[in-house]
Amino acid sequence: MELTRRRVLKGTGALAGLALASRAGLADARGLLTDPLLEEVIGRALSAAKKAGATYADIRIVRRRTESIFTRDDHIANVEGNESYGLGVRVIADGAWGFSAASQVAPAAAERAAQLAVEIARANAPLLQRPVQLAPVKAVVDTWQTPLERNPFKISLAEKSDFLLTINGALLKVPGIKHCFSSFQGLGEWKLFASSEGAHVEQDLIRIRPAYTATAIDATSGEFESRNHDISPIQAGWEYVAKSTMLADAPRIGEEAVQKLKSPSVTPGKKHLILVPSHLWLTIHESVGHPTELDRALGYEANFAGTSFLTVDKLSKFQFAAPHLSFYADKTTPTGLATCGYDDDGVKTQKWDVVRNGKFVGYQTTREQAGWINEPQSRGCSYAQDFRSFPFQRMPNVSLEPGSKDLGVKDLIAATDDGILIHGEGSYSIDHQRYNFQFGGQMFYEVKGGKVTRSLRDVAYQASTPDFWKSCDMLGGAREWEMGGSFWDGKGEPGQVNAVSHGCPPARFAQINVLNTSRRKGRG
Amino acid sequence: MKPATPNLKGALDAALAAAKRLAPAAAAFVRLESRRDANLRFARNEVTSSGDVDEATLSVEITLGKRHASSDTNQLDPASIETAVSRAIGMAQVAPEDPEVMPPLGPQRYEKAAPAYDAATASVDAAARAKMAREAMALKQGEDLLLAGFLEHYASREMLGTSAGLRADHQRTGATLSVTARTGDGTGSGWAASLSHRIGDMDQVKVGAVARDKALKSAKPTKLEPGRYTVVLEPAAVAELLISMLFSMDARAADEGRSFFAKAGGGNKIGEQIFGPHITLSSPMGDPLLPIAPFGQDGLALSPMTWIDKGTVKALAYSRYWAQKQGKTPTGIPRGVLLAGGTATTEELFKGVKKGVLITRFWYSRPLDPQTLLVTGLTRDGVFLIEDGAVTRPVNNFRWNESPIQMLKNADAMTKETYRAPLPSDFLTIRVPALRTNEFNLASVSDAV
Repeated sequence: MELTRRRVLKGTGALAGLALASRAGLADARGLLTDPLLEEVIGRALSAAKKAGATYADIRIVRRRTESIFTRDDHIANVEGNESYGLGVRVIADGAWGFSAASQVAPAAAERAAQLAVEIARANAPLLQRPVQLAPVKAVVDTWQTPLERNPFKISLAEKSDFLLTINGALLKVPGIKHCFSSFQGLGEWKLFASSEGAHVEQDLIRIRPAYTATAIDATSGEFESRNHDISPIQAGWEYVAKSTMLADAPRIGEEAVQKLKSPSVTPGKKHLILVPSHLWLTIHESVGHPTELDRALGYEANFAGTSFLTVDKLSKFQFAAPHLSFYADKTTPTGLATCGYDDDGVKTQKWDVVRNGKFVGYQTTREQAGWINEPQSRGCSYAQDFRSFPFQRMPNVSLEPGSKDLGVKDLIAATDDGILIHGEGSYSIDHQRYNFQFGGQMFYEVKGGKVTRSLRDVAYQASTPDFWKSCDMLGGAREWEMGGSFWDGKGEPGQVNAVSHGCPPARFAQINVLNTSRRKGRG
Repeated sequence: MKPATPNLKGALDAALAAAKRLAPAAAAFVRLESRRDANLRFARNEVTSSGDVDEATLSVEITLGKRHASSDTNQLDPASIETAVSRAIGMAQVAPEDPEVMPPLGPQRYEKAAPAYDAATASVDAAARAKMAREAMALKQGEDLLLAGFLEHYASREMLGTSAGLRADHQRTGATLSVTARTGDGTGSGWAASLSHRIGDMDQVKVGAVARDKALKSAKPTKLEPGRYTVVLEPAAVAELLISMLFSMDARAADEGRSFFAKAGGGNKIGEQIFGPHITLSSPMGDPLLPIAPFGQDGLALSPMTWIDKGTVKALAYSRYWAQKQGKTPTGIPRGVLLAGGTATTEELFKGVKKGVLITRFWYSRPLDPQTLLVTGLTRDGVFLIEDGAVTRPVNNFRWNESPIQMLKNADAMTKETYRAPLPSDFLTIRVPALRTNEFNLASVSDAV
């Protein structure tokens, strides 16, 4: 990966050749940053890195915007609008990585960051056992934007807060509901990636997270229960909120919180579980998404996030799940939170198998990691949360394929003699090798003789990852396949967050260990 | 190669002046932080990544009558400051009214703070980091271990001001080193960490040695059945479980019936004896063991607080709004918390334990039931059986389901010495002893190592 003057020139030269039309749509997302400034900053960073001795360099210039509205009961609790700009320069010198970032998007700051990054790389090189090698990638000049109808940053604050407060009004009308919280968060991530290999990729991603919670309190006993709406965060515009059933659902969500408070506590034991997408996405995230991260599997995250039971010797050999289950990873599914055009190594995003017919067949990788398992190309999973963060392997969307039969949750219930149906995400916890997990939920329903009989509370289930996925004996079809997701998947040191989605149909799992999580009346 | 230090005082004045000019009737709160963060990560006995980041941020909150909004930027040029102030004003103008809004604080009288800034920590460079990391990951000849770790240090200056005349200014530094050692056969794992506001206080050789020793001793664990055990919790484990209790010590949540500290039938548990007389939880000020700023995030002067005194709940955290509503003094959110130590040495915690478990640290703790504060989580990086007063052999990891309330209720011995525990944010500093507690629910076996 020799860095030559020709390559540097080719990189900046490519800028001039960009089709203006494709970048014009991004002008608004760039904020204060103009084309001539960006070109100068890129040129100065890449040439300073080369001059200081880097064999590879890239720069990411990032503008990040967040808007948050939080309400409580009948009023707005907080409104925030944040914006940050900055640049991060990453280099390889003497075979080692170096990284430096600054919040001034200016030529002098870019040059200084590049020089400091090289100084860091050189200081660390003696602590390396083998030099960093990057899998080859075609250097592209391209742009990408979240497809959306209504940019949330252009919707008035009044429209957004009216929407939330109308929901609160509906929730507070439900007898027994004492408090409610609703919120909307918008995240705008504009970034320009340029490398010493000539890549130049400009992207603008918009993600949103609407949410609300109703809390019912029994004043006499002091007991309380909350119910969150099941809506997921998504990569889309305000149209997703406007077309959603959030408002229409408010009376039901309130009633369910009250109903939860009155529900009998679950009797622990082995039961069939029917898990719908608003719940099952999180189980997939923790038990399929995380263990298939290559850096974890090899020990690179051992000091914090942990390792993985899916070690490299199990690749293409290990039966991870029942043979009728297949999981794929992608950064291409529309509306997926991890979806984009290119990763933060400049690699075009793609779709690939991680589990095929129950067998573990694929890892998530970056350019640095591909060679670790002798793969010729990166899977395109490099991501840094902001300008100040070092890009590393982060989870793509990881999803469960729908089954071949057209089954829905009603069919799964009808086929179940003794089970529990779980909606929504609750408490979640999994060990540092991704074996032993325990999940709660939002609503729990007893299923007896093929029918939902009553709601339950205090339910959690605990299992070991491969046992759980092998116990799946019924899989819903494409009709009820849905995505859920998280805004805040944490990994790395210093910690970084990544937004990611997981799709799945409803599914049934046989004879899973169900716990009672309450200590009331000496239980638990 | 350090960039020019940003003029925080100038930016603070500029933001307050812009607020006054653009919205004369507005109340303004401005917070600035200038920060340098640098780090080095290593894994599989080699360096993996390393960075050095400078950033200054400005946050402005504008209140117009009962309407308010806030805006952040990391650009401190005059035009960007004005843009951030204008944005906050624009958002506040259209935000619905908040009946709970509080006026900005006026001048405060701050307690004398313990020294929290160390010039040597602020100026550590790449070569010094590499040297420390090399020493932390040095292996003895013949040791079949894979070491991973993280060394980070920061220097921060925080400056606050309001249109009502409050001014606050505080500088602090911090350094953390943590090391995880795993045996080559994948059956053993050990962890150790050190934190200080002075990087010179850290003993990287010792941190590495403790992690390696634990890994070797924890290899090839034997099976131990789940159940309720007497456990000796090292400080990292104590802190992780205690934090879930700290987060629930909000007076409002208690008064509204939404927390463990709510009293059945209304009100809160202030005045109730919940724990034994050896449990005292406080937020002292000026204590060199807790190097913290003397003000909260909104600039409110933090007073020395005793939250739990010899087992009795003495105080809960009151926001300014809730304190005013309830006729109490606001406490703000504490930045330093100390669980007082006992009288034991670490070895004495094992004494008299017929059958128990020594736990290094916890992982993935998540609340299960806010009412009882029941939490689930796992053990990791060193779990050992204690038999007849001595640590005898490594055992498997566990998933546990336990409450910090029960942990403290059932605690019967604590070390005299307290330790700083690593936390995800440096806003809060916490010191805890190692402790022994009984009937701890190790609910199921985890096969993870």
